[in-house]
Amino acid sequence: MNSNKPAYNNRLGIKGWVYAGKYTFERYLYLGHRLTGMGLIAYMLLHIIETANRMRGVVAWEGLMGLFALPLFKMIEYALFAAAVFHALNGVRLLMTELGFFLGRPKEPVYPYSSSIKRHRPLTYIIMALAALIIILGGSSLFFP
Amino acid sequence: MRETRLWSWHLLVIPIIIVLLGLHFAIMHYAPVFYGVSVEEARNFEAMIERGKSVAQLVLYILLLAAALYHGLYGLRGIIRELPMTPALGKIVDITVICVGLFIFAFGTYVTWWTFSYPVGG
Repeated sequence: MNSNKPAYNNRLGIKGWVYAGKYTFERYLYLGHRLTGMGLIAYMLLHIIETANRMRGVVAWEGLMGLFALPLFKMIEYALFAAAVFHALNGVRLLMTELGFFLGRPKEPVYPYSSSIKRHRPLTYIIMALAALIIILGGSSLFFP
Repeated sequence: MRETRLWSWHLLVIPIIIVLLGLHFAIMHYAPVFYGVSVEEARNFEAMIERGKSVAQLVLYILLLAAALYHGLYGLRGIIRELPMTPALGKIVDITVICVGLFIFAFGTYVTWWTFSYPVGG
């Protein structure tokens, strides 16, 4: 047996994230979850390095904070906030799915089929609407304090 | 079993991150809404040092750092490990992620401790 052989064939690779046939709404939420997750971890690493600037003293710190007050950085800050809210709330939805909440009772597979995804969908819409509301409110507070 | 345990930790840290990151956002990004002070006031050097001298902040920030790094890097590792790769390369990915995580945790903890121990009036 070849020990260097991959455990499975991920034929589509990253392309499969976006399209591999008919994807549902939840599948695109999954894509959004991944992208925001990667963005947030990349930002977190930069954020730790950037906040360490305080060790260079008051002038360096105030200079950096002055930079962050520019409109461009306000926009980036808002994008991060939006990404964090989406990732957190979609994560709560995934956690509830993982723990088996809001999936309905198991049923006989009788046509027309009712999948657990369809039974879970109202919650998905409610959570996404809540995320949109928080993102809009967060934007209004950040830009129009 | 090992993977199940790692996945369980990935889920268990979620409430910690939501609460502490929510607090972080409220203090640093939404100070006018929650505390009635401008963002500039909340972020000036003296205010930042004053907050950093609190034991609660020291502990909570280190906890947030650990939880967010674990959650984020475990997720990133999962994404990378999905790609076609040999078990040997997979092992290298695991070790790299652990080393990056430990380094960033140590650095972040040092910065938090530096703030906590900053001399008064210094």
